[in-house]
Amino acid sequence: MKIRTVNLTRSFRVGSSEITAVKATNLEINEPKLVTIIGPSGSGKSTLLNLIGLNDYPTSGEVFIDDSNTSQLSGSERRKIRGARIGFVFQTFNLFPTLSALENVELPMSLVNKSQKEQRERAMKLLETVGLARRHDHRPKQLSMGEMQRVAIARALANKPEMIIADEPTGELDSATAKEIISLLQDINERDKTMVVVATHDEKIIDAADLVYTMQDGQLKPKRGSE
Amino acid sequence: MLFNGQVTVVSKDAIVIQAIPIGGGMLPQDSTVEEIRAIPGVSAVTPVLFVTSVGSQMLIQAVPVNFTMGIPVEDWELALGPIALKGNGHLPANDSSSEIVAGGSLADQYDWTVGTEIQVNGYKLHVSGVLDTRMALLSRCLVMPLRLAQSIYNYPQMVNIIAVKPVQNVPQQNLTEAIKSDKKIINVNALTETQRNDIIQPILEELQTWTIGTEAVVFIISLILVMTVTVMSVSERRRDFATLDAMGAPASYVFRVVIIETSLIGVLGGVIGIALGSLAAIVLASLYTSIPVALFFPSIFEIVPPLYMLEMFTAIVGICCVGGVIPAANAMRMRIAEVLRAEY
Repeated sequence: MKIRTVNLTRSFRVGSSEITAVKATNLEINEPKLVTIIGPSGSGKSTLLNLIGLNDYPTSGEVFIDDSNTSQLSGSERRKIRGARIGFVFQTFNLFPTLSALENVELPMSLVNKSQKEQRERAMKLLETVGLARRHDHRPKQLSMGEMQRVAIARALANKPEMIIADEPTGELDSATAKEIISLLQDINERDKTMVVVATHDEKIIDAADLVYTMQDGQLKPKRGSE
Repeated sequence: MLFNGQVTVVSKDAIVIQAIPIGGGMLPQDSTVEEIRAIPGVSAVTPVLFVTSVGSQMLIQAVPVNFTMGIPVEDWELALGPIALKGNGHLPANDSSSEIVAGGSLADQYDWTVGTEIQVNGYKLHVSGVLDTRMALLSRCLVMPLRLAQSIYNYPQMVNIIAVKPVQNVPQQNLTEAIKSDKKIINVNALTETQRNDIIQPILEELQTWTIGTEAVVFIISLILVMTVTVMSVSERRRDFATLDAMGAPASYVFRVVIIETSLIGVLGGVIGIALGSLAAIVLASLYTSIPVALFFPSIFEIVPPLYMLEMFTAIVGICCVGGVIPAANAMRMRIAEVLRAEY
């Protein structure tokens, strides 16, 4: 998967004033690398991730995925891309509290009509990968924060996405657990050749990243290893 | 139905609701009965003393629940229809001064069986039989020989309703007109079976109007409540819906989830609501009538008919589905980025 943004801008109207969260941003990621975007809170990191994850529409500019301009796509086409090619990991995990760990991982597969057997086998395999096979029948409430985030990562991998977008994935975790999560994301990137784009404050992720960008007042600047 | 296929004669200022004479004065038994018997087209005449309330005091109650009927014993079947008694009971003799037959519900409530001695207005009476009937009025009734009733309630030779059976093929209408136009029978009103049923019709219609109005108000309030609850439930789960959207769930999926949830709430709420509502109905009936709740349980499906339960259930599920549509549509239109941003 290749991601390219051209003059990407996103503004919000707050009362009578307009705030530009992302300003004319040009970003290009052509290989399945581990990319981090760092910056203070409110700098526009999450907005940028939402734009390249097709969760949001730009005010101006374009997002290209594999050279196709996503601004031409309909809502349902964007959904299809999100469901099949992009996985999301959130700071607050966003697991469904009434579903078990296994069912949470199965859910994205049920949305693309995989057979029940296929869903179960893959979900169990993914939970094994993140070290939670034995806790597959536990509900989120019965899991620790680190375990919840691992379930969320397993869920993000369910439909074999080409890109994982992780917004502050270690923001709620202690440093030891955060280290495990970072190593998991690194493994996914290296083993599965999945592009991982992370917005973070965490120095450890920054150290592990192939590409590092900084975001300040909506402007993206390369910091290390940019293409 | 009491006095089936018969004309009923009551005092001019009395009204008859189905078979119960309300208000009005008494009729002199012998002269009235004999005059009616002499009218052409009359097959049989049954004088009846109908008294509301069983007990030491004769009270006119807003909701009469206990009755006494004094009828000549040989005419009981004519007036009441086929009579079945529980166990080893028997009908009293016509000249009996102490034997009576009790309705099943009354007997159950006060634990009366054949041979039980009871006291009414200072008279010691014996239960000679317990009526085996599902007719609500008869099951709350003491039936006794006419003379005994007249003695107990101090109406010597007086009755307040006379059932008149027409000869076959004589229309009831003709008979009522003949009775009313007979100059020897004064201060009476004669009603066909249809007329006495129709008396209650305007009241029923008025009640029905009130019921429709109440139902409409309850329907609208329920709709608002269901919508409020669903809107709250949806807004509390904005993040879940946004997450589903981020995972590529089609908009119809979210709509379906909300509608299925509200329908399930409707099904569960309907079952629980109907069970509690039926219980409340018999508790209220018990409070109004002083009949123990337990006696109402066997007839719960008569108090709240199954068809009515089904109608209510369908309405509740319908309300929940309709009430869920707007919140579901709102959930479907959520902009995920805005929701996710608001969550942080």
